[in-house]
Amino acid sequence: MDSGSAPVFRVSGLCKAYRTGEVEVHALRGVDFAAKAGEFIVILGPSGSGKSTFLNIIGGLDRATSGEARFRDHDLTGASEGALTRYRRDHVGFIFQFYNLVPSLTALENVRLVTEIASRPMKPEAALALVGLEDRMDHFPAQLSGGEQQRVAIARAIAKQPDVLLCDEPTGALDSTTGIRVLEALTRANAETGATTLVITHNAAIAEIADRVVHFANGTIARELKNASRKQPSEVSW
Amino acid sequence: MIRALDRKMLRDLRRLWPQALAIALVMAAGVATLVLGVGAYQSLSATREHYYQSNHFADAFASLTRAPLLLKRDIEAINGVAAVETRVEKVALADLPDMSEPASVLLVSLPETGRQVLNRVYLRSGRLPEPQTDEAVASVGFAKAHGLAEGGVIRVLINGRQRGIRIVGTALSPEFIYTLGPGALMPDERRFGIVWLPDTVLAPAYNLDGAFNALAVSLVRGVNPETVIASIDRLLDRYGGQGAYPRKDQQSHAFLDAELQQLQAMSRILPPIFLLVSAFLVNMTLSRLISLEREQIGLLKAMGYSSFAVVRHYGGFVTVIALGGIVIGLGAGVWLGVGLAKLYARFFSFPFLVFTRDPAVYGIAAGATYAAALFGAVNAVREVAWLSPAVAMAPPAPQHYRKLLSFMPRLHLHFRQSTVMVTRHLTHWPFRTTTSILGVALSVAILVGSLWSFGSIDHMIDITFRRSDRQDAAITFTEVRPQSALYDVRRLPGVMRAEPFRAVAVKFSNGAVERRVSLVGREHGAGLARVLDGDLRPVTLPERGVVISDSLAHLLRLRTGDMVTVSVLEGRRKTHLVPVSAIVTGFIGLTAYMDIEAMNRLLEEGPVISGTYLALDASKHDELFSTLKATPAASFISLQYIALQKFRETLAQNVNIMISVYATLAAIIAFGVVYNFARISLSEQGREMASLRVLGFTKAEISALLLGELAIVVLLAQPLGWGLGYVFAYVMTEGFRTELYRVPLVVNRNVYAWASLIVFAATAISGLIVRRRVDRLDMIEVLKTRE
Repeated sequence: MDSGSAPVFRVSGLCKAYRTGEVEVHALRGVDFAAKAGEFIVILGPSGSGKSTFLNIIGGLDRATSGEARFRDHDLTGASEGALTRYRRDHVGFIFQFYNLVPSLTALENVRLVTEIASRPMKPEAALALVGLEDRMDHFPAQLSGGEQQRVAIARAIAKQPDVLLCDEPTGALDSTTGIRVLEALTRANAETGATTLVITHNAAIAEIADRVVHFANGTIARELKNASRKQPSEVSW
Repeated sequence: MIRALDRKMLRDLRRLWPQALAIALVMAAGVATLVLGVGAYQSLSATREHYYQSNHFADAFASLTRAPLLLKRDIEAINGVAAVETRVEKVALADLPDMSEPASVLLVSLPETGRQVLNRVYLRSGRLPEPQTDEAVASVGFAKAHGLAEGGVIRVLINGRQRGIRIVGTALSPEFIYTLGPGALMPDERRFGIVWLPDTVLAPAYNLDGAFNALAVSLVRGVNPETVIASIDRLLDRYGGQGAYPRKDQQSHAFLDAELQQLQAMSRILPPIFLLVSAFLVNMTLSRLISLEREQIGLLKAMGYSSFAVVRHYGGFVTVIALGGIVIGLGAGVWLGVGLAKLYARFFSFPFLVFTRDPAVYGIAAGATYAAALFGAVNAVREVAWLSPAVAMAPPAPQHYRKLLSFMPRLHLHFRQSTVMVTRHLTHWPFRTTTSILGVALSVAILVGSLWSFGSIDHMIDITFRRSDRQDAAITFTEVRPQSALYDVRRLPGVMRAEPFRAVAVKFSNGAVERRVSLVGREHGAGLARVLDGDLRPVTLPERGVVISDSLAHLLRLRTGDMVTVSVLEGRRKTHLVPVSAIVTGFIGLTAYMDIEAMNRLLEEGPVISGTYLALDASKHDELFSTLKATPAASFISLQYIALQKFRETLAQNVNIMISVYATLAAIIAFGVVYNFARISLSEQGREMASLRVLGFTKAEISALLLGELAIVVLLAQPLGWGLGYVFAYVMTEGFRTELYRVPLVVNRNVYAWASLIVFAATAISGLIVRRRVDRLDMIEVLKTRE
């Protein structure tokens, strides 16, 4: 995967400040970051360290107060609301802690929801097969277990063949066994679609399956670590 | 010190103020319709009663040819008669400088000052006439229409002689609240007025010295007027009596009564519908609103609040909204009610207005609204309040959706997923979807139920003035004339066509039911004034039998082929048994027709006519009118275009004002319903919408999802609303039915279109407001929190 090409993300001096009432909260204080195409990166850090804010900004969900964040040749910091929507639509796949599936649509339909608006989608059935759910396609979210729902969410995220996959605590609501199945789906998706994958987690054990581990603390990147070798999800446990 | 829970309630109200206001307005509209409708009717009804009493309006009336004043004592001696007033009344042509066409006046004799016992005039300005002078008092409307000031002189053709009469005052009378010229369809104060002259002047002018030709009596309380009327008829028979009649048949009273009856019908039919609709909508809206509070209710219970405290909290929330609605509704209702009563009082020329306030009406309006609101709230809270806190705080179990048409499992794949989402959402909560559709349908229905009467009145006008009574004018002679008079009329300037008619006062009876009507004889194959059948085709009057209007047939329970007793109230006063040969369409008055030759045979009076219908050359109106002014034989000329104009001004105007008020309130209700539907849908689906935004859906796409659902509900509601509206309209026509008018049930397509357009406009505005909120959805929040 490591093709040595130009970085997908280039972030420099990224700052984010919120005003909540009288208090100003600095969520990000000058983050510098880069990610190459196809890289699998795990982001660790305590609550309030700024990792989610960082993910939201490079995912086009939020805007920085200062600094620069670029996706290829897109400037994310200065982009308009409409441009950010197009960016998310064409390039980003999101996976959330609580799956955020549409309850009134079946697994297949949840995937189709995205493929219908994407510019170069894969077949929804293929995306579900990739996460091992080819025989659960016609089930509604309420008929699926938590792990299965999260795999539908992964299928939905990869079906548009995104350039980046952004995952915020994808295993946070799952037990270890189910969590591992989800991680397997994620690494497989990363390997087969070549999407740069960023996974936020509290769970340090997951770090071992990544190419690179980024530690957030107090609004900045405290340290980075490159794994010499990646473990398979089945090899980790928590 | 405000308790924390109350503080939460106030904050919730502030947060939800647009929705709270919309609900309050729906309630207010329901309350206001009841208060204003009933208030206006009761005020006018009380005013009329007071006016009648203070001016001693008579209980029975009679006209005759001539009777000696001595007869008065015999009438006074009739058992049950309290007071008798005799007088002289004559219709005469008047020449007024401000108009080219002739006007008519009813000359009424006035006894010496202070001696008037019944139907006392209410002097508005000036003074009463001195005896033995050509002084007179004119009715206020007539004086105003001609700008007659005190001292003004009008020229009246009295018994064939032009006389100048000096107006010294203007007056109102309970007897002439409405004044109709002979043969006129509608009151027209410009062309027909009342002029009171001293009896010492009027009686001699018509050679009625020591005699009278009209009579009014008041009755002892509790006496049946019919027995007294029968006695009066016996006494007057020798003197050319035309049949005494009770107050209910007195023209002015009957007209006023019809108006008030319509007002009452409107206040009895529309407001309860409005109140029910608004109560239903409030109930539906509040229960959805409170269902959204599930987690908060769980939280309150977890903190130790009892279920009862929770119910009371939301009860308080609803109470504040309901109180707001009720206060706005009562205020608007009273204000509009007083405004309407004033408008009508001016229209009816009441000398004063008595306002009545019926606390029961306020109580019913407020109580029904509050009960509906509270019921909706308690119902919604109850479902949640009795759950254990842990269950309530957790999100409701994921919804199990079903596929529609499961026998065609792949069918839905042909549609876009957004369409699938919208349909599944709607079918998943069939009860909620149905009540929403019903709610919107009801707002369409009350709009249809308010708006239909405009078109109906147009239809009535079209039938009456363009298809049935197509003459330009009608001349009524002072007394019947030989057939040859028709040829004289045909020679008048500008007369292009003239058709004769014969009109006679008769009483129709079938069993115990009887009605006084004017039986009209028309020429065979008459082309101007026509009679139309149920399919609006012209009917050729048969050589035998009478043709009666559907409303008369309905009253007398007669069908084609039945025999009806016709008692002639003039001339030889004979009674005949006549077959009903056809039933025809008629919206105004109770009407009966015969072939003129058949009628003359029946009356045994030879070929005579009462007047003629005319087709006129519009360019020669002035010439015709100036000739007619000098024609003693003509007592009244009714002009059709003026009748139409007056019709629009009276009935149409009255109905229009009321209906406009109701339609506005209906529009408010429609808006309140649709807005709340949209807002609550957004609250329910906000999370889903935000997730889709994260996935890259644009604001427009998200809004389309939400508004698509609204659009489907609104569209599905239309046909149902039209149907319900038609039913409301039907109920109203039944309520409007009086002996003077029958409003046809005609609901034009444009009524449905307007009702739908108003609801669509409300939907569009609500859609825009909701769209603005969609634009502000917080995408990050949904990623962090569980449902």
